[in-house]
Amino acid sequence: MSIIAVEGVTKHYALGTQTVEALRGITFEIQKGEFIAIMGPSGSGKSTLMNIIGCLDSPTHGTYFLNNQEVSTLEGDELAGIRNKEIGFVFQNFHLLARNTALDNVMLPLKYAGVEKAEQLARAKAALSQVGLEDRMDHQPSELSGGQQQRVAIARALVNNPSILFADEPTGNLDSQTGHDVMQLFHNLHAAGQTIILITHENEVAEEAQRTIFIKDGLIESDSTKEVA
Amino acid sequence: MILQESISTAVDAIRANLMRSLLTTIAIVIGTASVIAMVGIGSSAQRAIDDSITNLSARTLTVYPSRGRGSQTVNASPLVIKDADALIKDQEIKWRITPEIRGSKTLKFGNESISISVIGVRENYLSIQGYEVEEGLFLTERDDLARKRIAIIGSSVGTELKTSSKALIGKDIDLGGVTFKVIGMMKSEGSSGWSNPDEQIYIPLLTAADRLFGRQIVDSIRVEVPNTYSPEEAMISIERVLRREHDIGPGEENNFRINDWSQFTDLQKQATAIFSALIIGIAGISLLVGGIGVMNIMLVSVTERTREIGLRKALGATHQAILLQFLIEAVTLCIIGGVLGVVLGSGIYLLISIWQDWVFTIPFSAIFGSVTFSACVGLFFGIWPARKAARLEPAVALRYE
Repeated sequence: MSIIAVEGVTKHYALGTQTVEALRGITFEIQKGEFIAIMGPSGSGKSTLMNIIGCLDSPTHGTYFLNNQEVSTLEGDELAGIRNKEIGFVFQNFHLLARNTALDNVMLPLKYAGVEKAEQLARAKAALSQVGLEDRMDHQPSELSGGQQQRVAIARALVNNPSILFADEPTGNLDSQTGHDVMQLFHNLHAAGQTIILITHENEVAEEAQRTIFIKDGLIESDSTKEVA
Repeated sequence: MILQESISTAVDAIRANLMRSLLTTIAIVIGTASVIAMVGIGSSAQRAIDDSITNLSARTLTVYPSRGRGSQTVNASPLVIKDADALIKDQEIKWRITPEIRGSKTLKFGNESISISVIGVRENYLSIQGYEVEEGLFLTERDDLARKRIAIIGSSVGTELKTSSKALIGKDIDLGGVTFKVIGMMKSEGSSGWSNPDEQIYIPLLTAADRLFGRQIVDSIRVEVPNTYSPEEAMISIERVLRREHDIGPGEENNFRINDWSQFTDLQKQATAIFSALIIGIAGISLLVGGIGVMNIMLVSVTERTREIGLRKALGATHQAILLQFLIEAVTLCIIGGVLGVVLGSGIYLLISIWQDWVFTIPFSAIFGSVTFSACVGLFFGIWPARKAARLEPAVALRYE
């Protein structure tokens, strides 16, 4: 069963009097439980594609089905609801709220989902345990290392049991050892059945995924699946 | 849920920029403080005026010379004791009259020395003013005619001499080099707003004229008009007697003026009302300026936190959730300003009421009203920044540098 089905997606931006075609017709599917990397140089349309798959933006043309629901026609608060329930984001620069504890940061998506306070706490604690930070729950981001901050962000992404875990250059701001630990965490989550989409421009990181989609000039240049050893 | 979350987020955001937030609220603080202080002062002043009106058992008129009141002023046609006697002798109206000779003298007792307002009056001054003696005696007609060196002190004179007024009764005091014996002490009247009878010393009129100030010129003549006469009738009679005494020919202007006490209090009320309106106007302008300040700082805050807004939207925050968050931040800021203003305004009013010896009462409605109004200012001026925040595109906001 495909969890993501993108067909003929284009995205045009008006830049002054010119129209920029960031995406020029993208079609692919992602199955549940896949670990996939989307690669491409800067300016390739990779970020635009990520915004559309992540429901942060809508395509100009084409259709996008997420979990068999058409989301390409949704906008505003409807997309906010989809992001809240279906997608967990992990960003390059962590994007944690600086004045909130790790626990509060992880609880944030549940607050927007309208979950009961007691359940928020229980689920946020469980998510933090899952990433090995059960003893750092009351720390603020400034009291955590980069790797720990990224793990808090991963816990926040997981707390709503999303269909897709979306990671945009998750190791870009980490040293290689910490980056390796974070990738190991992704592998563990993948092994547990989590669908993961990794956006990166580093071959080394993309190597970790089973499948790699390479974007260039707004089109898919290659879509290759690694042999399972 | 979202409401509670928004309030705690708002408080966090304000705490994070505490100095900036407090500076932003200053205009709101000033506005609210002026309203609270003014409402308090206004109601106390009104009460003081009402009290002084009820103190007067009947209508009291006061006659002043036209130009200059003090003994220093060269005055071609001053009021003299003889004018008052002429009014008393005139039988057309059965009024009660006391001239007043006022002046400032140095009062010495023991090692203490203070400057004090001394007032020479007749024995009926007590009933005309509606004052009462707390302890001891007031002066009598005989004391006056004998030009006795006796004094009745206001209730707080003793305190100023670092003793009690009661302890002074029966003692000798030195007033401008003349020795007086204290025979009584007045009941506390409280300040009437423009003079404080508690801080005065009363002596017989003729003693004041012949032994202390050395002048027949009086500062004013106080006339109590019986209830059976209208103040207008009384004024006409007074005018007739004084014009005759002062030899004013037909067509010439009076060289004295007659004040109707109640007119004066009406004026006072009007002045208070104008003053209140002025302060309310200033308060309104400060709240407007404060609101614009809050709007400005909220716009800055929205820009600074663009990425945070992007993140919140990425995590599922709706348009309404972001709108509410920033609206609540603006309202909280204004409520903090309003509460600080209430505290400051009450403090100012408390100091003034202690100084003026007023009862301290702030109506709850004034506190509730001004804080609510501050909140409304926040709501009104917070809408634009909050809408700006809520309308941000998540994809753009997340990558904002």
